[in-house]
Amino acid sequence: MILKAVHWLREVGVLGMNRRNAEYIMRFNPRSFFPLVDDKLKTKQLAKAHQIPTPPLYHVIEHHGDLGDLAELVSDHQEFVVKPARGAGGSGIILVSDHSEEGFTKQNGEVIPLKALTYHISDILSGIYSLEGLEDRALIEALVHPNTVFDGITYLGVPDIRIIVYRGVPVMSMVRLPTRSSDGKANLHRGAIGVGIDMGEGTTLKGVHRSSVVTYHPDTKKPVTGIQVPHWESMLLIAARTGDMTGIGYLGVDLVIDRERGPVLLELNARPGLQIQIANQAGLLRRFDLIDKAPPEVFSTPEIRVAWALDTFSARTAN
Amino acid sequence: MKHPAIPLAVALLLISFALISYRVIWLKYPIFPPAPEKVWRLSMDGQVTGGEKEITVMVGLPFTHRGQMVAEERIRSGTLAFNLLHEGPNQVGVWSGVISPRGEAIGYSATIQVRPPQPIKTKTAILEPYPLNTQEEDQALAKRLVRKWDFLPAADRLRRIAAALRGIWGSPPPEDQDLREWSAFQENHIHLDAVLLLLRAASLPARVVEGLQLVESVTGSTLTWVEVWTGQEWDSLQPENGEIYQQPVPLLALTTNGLPLIRVINGELSEVRWTLNRGIISQWRMQFERIMSSNRFLDRWSLFRLPADFQGTFRILILVPIGALMICLLRNIIGFPTFGIFLPVLMALAFRNTGLAYGLGIFWGVVLFGYVVRRQIDKLRLLLVPRLSVILTLVILCIIFFALLGNKLGLREFMAVGLLPFVILTMTIERFFVITEESGTREALWTAVGSAGVAVITYKILQLEPLQLTFFVYPELLFVIAAIQVLLGRYTGYRLLELFRFRGFWGSS
Repeated sequence: MILKAVHWLREVGVLGMNRRNAEYIMRFNPRSFFPLVDDKLKTKQLAKAHQIPTPPLYHVIEHHGDLGDLAELVSDHQEFVVKPARGAGGSGIILVSDHSEEGFTKQNGEVIPLKALTYHISDILSGIYSLEGLEDRALIEALVHPNTVFDGITYLGVPDIRIIVYRGVPVMSMVRLPTRSSDGKANLHRGAIGVGIDMGEGTTLKGVHRSSVVTYHPDTKKPVTGIQVPHWESMLLIAARTGDMTGIGYLGVDLVIDRERGPVLLELNARPGLQIQIANQAGLLRRFDLIDKAPPEVFSTPEIRVAWALDTFSARTAN
Repeated sequence: MKHPAIPLAVALLLISFALISYRVIWLKYPIFPPAPEKVWRLSMDGQVTGGEKEITVMVGLPFTHRGQMVAEERIRSGTLAFNLLHEGPNQVGVWSGVISPRGEAIGYSATIQVRPPQPIKTKTAILEPYPLNTQEEDQALAKRLVRKWDFLPAADRLRRIAAALRGIWGSPPPEDQDLREWSAFQENHIHLDAVLLLLRAASLPARVVEGLQLVESVTGSTLTWVEVWTGQEWDSLQPENGEIYQQPVPLLALTTNGLPLIRVINGELSEVRWTLNRGIISQWRMQFERIMSSNRFLDRWSLFRLPADFQGTFRILILVPIGALMICLLRNIIGFPTFGIFLPVLMALAFRNTGLAYGLGIFWGVVLFGYVVRRQIDKLRLLLVPRLSVILTLVILCIIFFALLGNKLGLREFMAVGLLPFVILTMTIERFFVITEESGTREALWTAVGSAGVAVITYKILQLEPLQLTFFVYPELLFVIAAIQVLLGRYTGYRLLELFRFRGFWGSS
């Protein structure tokens, strides 16, 4: 029974946790590069230098002393996002969609006074949400208006697109859709659904919710399959260039499609999860092997890598 | 197989194998350590006080005979003189002399190796006369009571009498008149006389023995029981409840034939304390006295050269890597989550003091209580370090509470909670909370169950005395453990639970 299961997973080329850690993260992701992806501000600066679009940065708050001017800082922007630079798993993020004399309207409709927002940023600076509890910085950046294509299958929150990049080649992808149980967050371990994307076509496949395969969104009851993801190729290109920019060989790239600006880079992950394989009903290992066997000229430019990936990893070619 | 980890693992295995071979072949170490549970460390301490006259203190001491070997005897006598005296089958230590008004502390310690019971092929024990303070009519009554069992073998007669002591006379029951007289006799005599009377009436040779129960203990009081000759061996009968001890008898006889264990002339022996400990290493020392005096390098660098009180620590310490190995297995082969990496090992070490049931109960109690409090603390939005400090304080308060509760209830296990790794408990509460928040209660509970599970497995391994001894004698076995750990570190196959996680792929190829 066990041997049979191992055999099946091998056949499909499913990547397991042990192999991911030993063969890919340890080999391709040098520890010294981790700060680039763990700190969103550094990621943003790096992306800017490489002409990769990110949500416009309004302000960086580094010191508790700067909080006195908060009202003035945000007065120019009717809507914005506050996030910790080193926050993990979407914690500490506040989306403000409007503000007036009474206070700030969060995206879920709740109004919080200036004082509460100040406290929240103070918490961020103190490292409440930071990965290792270290002192942190707070970013105030533009609110992304997600493309309406996923509106029917999103419960609150912002759906994002995760693309796995291996040695600069986009390998596998999924849309992460917030649900009621994920509390509007797009993190799979919080209960968001991951829906696989056909690499060749940019259309959605089946989804994974917790550990089981789904074809409908659990809250909106709309089908998740067969949706054409807009800006597909340009997103793959951003992902491929992100691989070059960070020097990290095995990377999870999280993008959001803004209504006006198109795809923007949200954050990077140097230890991307393995759930994406269930969403795509395909194994990462097999695709990694194909990339490792690819002729060297494939790796010359991001454009060629994307073209090669579009061609190789299409669901129709059954990889 | 070209990976550099493989040669390293092989090298570690070879080193270990070479060292063990050297010890076995050249140094003639035994391959299998002898059964460890038969060796006990006995010590007696007391305070002698008295007047100006010469004081004599006589205490029954264990001695070497068929059933046991006594070694490494140490006497503490202060200014008193010490002599060994033989009184019948007993060996009595005699401390005598004039003491200062402050009194004098005396002590005795020895290592006792209890040997497996063998059938005795000596002459039958002599049937002693009836107990001194019994009348002829009592003896006649006793004879009437046991008469119906006369035709039974000695061992069966003993069992019937043992049952009778519990009030079960069997059928046909004795005459009411006899039973009434017997009750009257019991009223007027000490229980032991009643027991001896019945045994004598049934022609069973018996003797009163005083000694200790063979359990790890510190006690001021000794135990009195009756040994009964049943034709082949002495069976031990607990006079109070008529229980016959199963072989091997968990008792250590100090004096027999009714000789009082402690006799003092012109003074008093107070604060007497008997301590019994399992002394595994001591037994090894007996075996390894040759090795101890050897000048061979490995012998000189043996763990046996450590002072005895440190050896116990190292016996446990040397098994901790096995616990770590268990965690490797659970996490990387099975894929079960645990809190932190070494929490389970530290828990297992703490369980040695609290016992498994109490240890686990306290662990869950503290973690769940800590979790409830942590939820409340979360609303305060405290900074990381002060927040952890608050939880640490809470954990310490819990531990103090358990200790006080234990003291009240007389539960030593509760008082031993002080040895729980409180820093680790603090981190566990924090991790438990974070996992609950980020991945849900189910995940957090699984992780807690996983941690507790490894802790239990590790605890069971640490308690295996043969394993402790084997590693203690051959510490190079740790290289084997390291080799396995290295190999596990290169295991890139699927984790067992991943097979289930990716069950959607089954049969899809």
